[in-house]
Amino acid sequence: MRIILTGYGVVGQSLIDIFENQKFENLKKYGFNPKVVAITDRGGAAVNKKGLDLERIKKVKTREGSVAADKKFGQPQAIAQSIIQSTEAEIMIEATSTNVVNAEPGLSNIKTAFNSGKHVITTNKGPLALAFPTLTELADHNKVLLRFSGTVGGGTPILEFAKKCLSGDKINEMQGILNGTTNYILTEMAEKRVTFKKALELAQKLGYAETDPSMDINGIDAACKVVIIGNWIFNKKFTLKDVKVNGIKNITLKELNNATKKGKRIKLIGSINGKPTVAPKEIRRNDPLCVSGVLNAVTFISEYAGKQTIIGRGAGGIETAGAILRDLLDIKYNLANRMLL
Amino acid sequence: MKRIVMKFGGTSVSNGKNICNVANIIRKNSKKGHEIVVVVSALANVTDQLIEAANKIKSGKEENIQKFVNKLFEKHISVINEAIKSEKIKKETKNKVKKVIEKLEKILKGICYVGELTLKSKDQVVSFGERLSSIIVSATLNDQKIESQHFTGKEAGIVTDSKFGEANPLMNFTTQQVINQLEPLLEKKIIPVVTGYIAADQDGIITTLGRGGSDYTATILGFVLNVDEVWIWTDVDGIMTSDPKIIKEAKTIDGLSYGEAAEMAIFGAKAMHPRALEPVIKKHIPVRILNVFNPESKGTLISEGPEVESKEVVKAIALIKDVSMINIKGAGMVGAPGSYAKIFNILGKKNINIMMVSSAVSEANISIIIRRNQIERAMSTLEIALLGNNSGNEVSYEDDVCVIAAMGANMKGSMGVASRIFTAVANKNINIRMIAQGSSELNISFVVKEKYGSLAVNAIHEEFKLNK
Ligand SMILES: NC(=O)c1ccc[n+]([C@@H]2O[C@H](COP(=O)([O-])OP(=O)(O)OC[C@H]3O[C@@H](n4cnc5c(N)ncnc54)[C@H](OP(=O)(O)O)[C@@H]3O)[C@@H](O)[C@H]2O)c1
Repeated sequence: MRIILTGYGVVGQSLIDIFENQKFENLKKYGFNPKVVAITDRGGAAVNKKGLDLERIKKVKTREGSVAADKKFGQPQAIAQSIIQSTEAEIMIEATSTNVVNAEPGLSNIKTAFNSGKHVITTNKGPLALAFPTLTELADHNKVLLRFSGTVGGGTPILEFAKKCLSGDKINEMQGILNGTTNYILTEMAEKRVTFKKALELAQKLGYAETDPSMDINGIDAACKVVIIGNWIFNKKFTLKDVKVNGIKNITLKELNNATKKGKRIKLIGSINGKPTVAPKEIRRNDPLCVSGVLNAVTFISEYAGKQTIIGRGAGGIETAGAILRDLLDIKYNLANRMLL
Repeated sequence: MKRIVMKFGGTSVSNGKNICNVANIIRKNSKKGHEIVVVVSALANVTDQLIEAANKIKSGKEENIQKFVNKLFEKHISVINEAIKSEKIKKETKNKVKKVIEKLEKILKGICYVGELTLKSKDQVVSFGERLSSIIVSATLNDQKIESQHFTGKEAGIVTDSKFGEANPLMNFTTQQVINQLEPLLEKKIIPVVTGYIAADQDGIITTLGRGGSDYTATILGFVLNVDEVWIWTDVDGIMTSDPKIIKEAKTIDGLSYGEAAEMAIFGAKAMHPRALEPVIKKHIPVRILNVFNPESKGTLISEGPEVESKEVVKAIALIKDVSMINIKGAGMVGAPGSYAKIFNILGKKNINIMMVSSAVSEANISIIIRRNQIERAMSTLEIALLGNNSGNEVSYEDDVCVIAAMGANMKGSMGVASRIFTAVANKNINIRMIAQGSSELNISFVVKEKYGSLAVNAIHEEFKLNK
């Protein structure tokens, strides 16, 4: 299967590592033979229709900062969209940085892939948060598949759980801790009684929070995930601007103490029950949803199965790359079935 | 006296000097008393230039049209200056060319404004190559005191369906119209010069004949006008026993049957497209392949009946490069009912053309030959479709192979030809990777590593003494 990878950061590189390490063992039994024909980053692209030498590209990236520096296959300054358009492949994997202002370059990358008949897997939430209904419509129109397991819960199969394991059931409600960074900060504050500022600094030191943590702190990251769950699982058509969002910046130690006294914890909760919202909320400590540290947890309340909670690590390069792999195999089987019809 | 359609290809009319040469050939044959209908292609490369220009202009700037049109005009004017002596005819011809090019300019502008190039408008644009060349060839004949008149395929009366880009002639309609148009001229010994490749549908919209091109026009006219022969003038002495670049001793083949000629074309020899042979096969009209630059050589005669009966079993050998071989192994797919059809279907849907197939049922193995530039797509497609789910299938490929095809009608029923071919190859220590025989039994083809390709061709050429 020929793959174009746009964005070669933590997630992209983890995916390539999986391809490299598992090539001959695990992947073979699935009949899955990935061939990465193009990789793009901010510096340009590396393209080889016969399949890139992944070990070599990785070295080039580490040494020179961009895959485009490859002597033989590098294309400095190349625009991702024209690479996507002109390179034959079955699948494009979109893993550039999330941008919630205009979702670029991810949004254009995905549209171009659709337009040239490629199936898309994205871990980038931006395009989905801003244009979910448009993108699913365009995918159908172009008869291609769009998958995004890695956008919610990192490697934890939250979307698949709701979509596949609960298929046939009617899901009425969702509540979840959808952002690991803020959950870590809130846990630290409540348990070690440190200020927000201190907790954030610690999170940054440990690599749980980015140098610019605003997307997490302000609840935007969680809100993006609410959009994806709402559209995909609840069949509601809405985008980021329709989500009511409150972050955790103004939470005081006093509020946290009060909650603790009541046997509760304050968590940043994304929910769909009527209007989609993201806001700090008190949760009982014995509720399975009340996880600590960087963990994520989502509870679905459905008509027949009742209350189900799925818990797992919500981010991480290798975890998210694992989610991409699941999507790849899902698309592979879908295509095989289509072809053999 | 014979009635003959003569078709001249792009190289034969590539410049003024060559056009004079063409006029000489026509004059000589006309002097012998033959009735002649001429079919011409566009000047060498002009058709490609028109297509390229149209593609660019559809999303380009209007100024580019002027540039392109001027260049095209200059090119044809310089050909006129070289080919025609009489100042009067020169002037008339230049005026005609100017008017035709003005029309082309308008059409290109239309395409530019609309920003769209449909198959329909592309046929319009492409037709101008032949329109221009037919005007010049006809004028050159007039200049040499041979009465001539030029026609587009449409004016000559060739009517097709509306499948633009690859139209099919409506033969009865065409017959009625062409006879009305051209018979009176032939009776008066006026030579019609007709554009090859282009025609019109029943509404008079320009169409093109697609594969087979100008040769097809020649054979259609041959059919309609009940000619004695169709002569295809090219720049080689005829159809060769093999590519002279590979085999120094390759020689011209005197005679081929229609079936053999069609087979040669499929394997890429410089011959006629099978489609273009259809009309002449129906009326048993012989076709000669001749060389404009060596008009005295007798060329290759394509016909049926006694003239081509020969003892040779292998007549020609082709080497087809730039191919890849895919091997599919596995109990899951291969051998199960309908599984081959599935594989062909999967590849067909991805526009991958299968050139050759062979299978060994006992080993649950199938090998396929495709064009090398499609190997990535083919492999990816087959891997997705056939691997995984415990199917036990395996797909692999080799892209350093070539196909060798030995052709000849007398191979049919002649025992031992295959064994002679393979022994000759084996004696050179060349390993044969795959063997297939076409259903027509007119060829035996097999696959070897590309580096042994010419060695194998030479071995067979020698074995069957094709140089004698
Ligand atoms: N990391 C996780 O745990 C995780 C989990 C789930 C989802 N995600 C999402 O997955 C995506 C990738 O995450 P990541 O952690 O791999 O991010 P990252 O390490 O920052 O990598 C981003 C990649 O995108 C490229 N890029 C950024 N802006 C670009 C532009 N304007 N044009 C072309 N290329 C551009 C970068 O190029 P350079 O290499 O040249 O800088 C880099 O290769 C993000 O959208 C993220 O939100 C991440």
